[in-house]
Amino acid sequence: MASTLESLETQLEMFIENVRQIRIIVSDFQPQGQNVLNQKIQALVTGLQEVDKLRSQVQDVHVPLEVFDYIDNGRNPQLYTKDCIEKALTKNEQVKGKIDSYRRFKSYLLVELNNVFPNELAKYRALRGDDRPIS
Amino acid sequence: MMMGDQFRTKVEPYSPKSSPRGARSPVVSRQDSTGTLKATISLGKNPSIVHSGPFYLMKEPPAESDLTGAVNLMAYYGLEHTYSKFSGKKVKEQLSSFLPNLPGIIDTPGHQDNSSLRSVIEKPPHVGKELRPLSSVQLAGFRLHPGPLPEQYRYVNQAPMKKHKSRHKKHKHKGGEGVGGGGGELSAGEGGGEAHEKKHKKTKRHDDEKERKKRKKEKKRKKAKHSPEGATGGLTPSQHSNG
Repeated sequence: MASTLESLETQLEMFIENVRQIRIIVSDFQPQGQNVLNQKIQALVTGLQEVDKLRSQVQDVHVPLEVFDYIDNGRNPQLYTKDCIEKALTKNEQVKGKIDSYRRFKSYLLVELNNVFPNELAKYRALRGDDRPIS
Repeated sequence: MMMGDQFRTKVEPYSPKSSPRGARSPVVSRQDSTGTLKATISLGKNPSIVHSGPFYLMKEPPAESDLTGAVNLMAYYGLEHTYSKFSGKKVKEQLSSFLPNLPGIIDTPGHQDNSSLRSVIEKPPHVGKELRPLSSVQLAGFRLHPGPLPEQYRYVNQAPMKKHKSRHKKHKHKGGEGVGGGGGELSAGEGGGEAHEKKHKKTKRHDDEKERKKRKKEKKRKKAKHSPEGATGGLTPSQHSNG
């Protein structure tokens, strides 16, 4: 897959470079440049053909739509990755905090229940198969 | 009369349709979803009685999954390197810093010049036609008049000078064959760019040297001022302020 993407990238770069050269030729056109321009235009078609050939090899590449918003706004798409990672980390920390809080709550509850209803709690823990000491 | 009607509507709930348990008969056994029973009796081919113990509302706890949010998922999926890569250094905001080789101004919003990727999704281009090289007759349509472009088109999409420079360098390194195949004016343009770059570098170097010399002179002056301290192995200015 990496080689396919690399070759697609190379093809696109070559295509862009070709367009850039056409722009230079056209910006101050000289009559003797017509042949070169014609070659460049044909190279455009060839470049499009090459890109089209690679289309089938990149069918399974999934791109999140949000990345396009970043690119369309002239922003670095790596910022999307960065934002995603930061969001995931924040969410991970939040969930971990919740889980830890619930664990602590459970242990406090067991301690308090044990103080008030020691017999019932012993039965309950026996039913649950919990033989760890209440801390 | 009205009162009587109201009373009747209140009395009607005795019918099975409006009973609190719905239309089901209370005789039929069913799973204890409310947890109010100590034992659940199920009839049918295999009648059984399941004791739910001495506690009301007791249910089986949910199965514990191996992977939860309590685990550091970044480490679990081996993304720590990616995280440190993006969190450690500051990622440049502009799109041009991600695609430095791309000519033209690409940092402007795409919807301004109809170059947005969204528009490609929303209005997909017509595809399916075979791409063929242009015939000589078709190429005749690209015959141009000699001379420069009108002013309004000349600087359209031209990148700022700073970025242009780095781009030239990269292109030179990547593939000389593309540029070499260009017309006379093309190679001249490229050469001009290089010459300009060299000149710029030279002047920069020259300026750097001047600055260095200035700094040296200043240091000498300072040393001369602090000469008695210097002899005793005096402190640097920063150390002075600290001490």
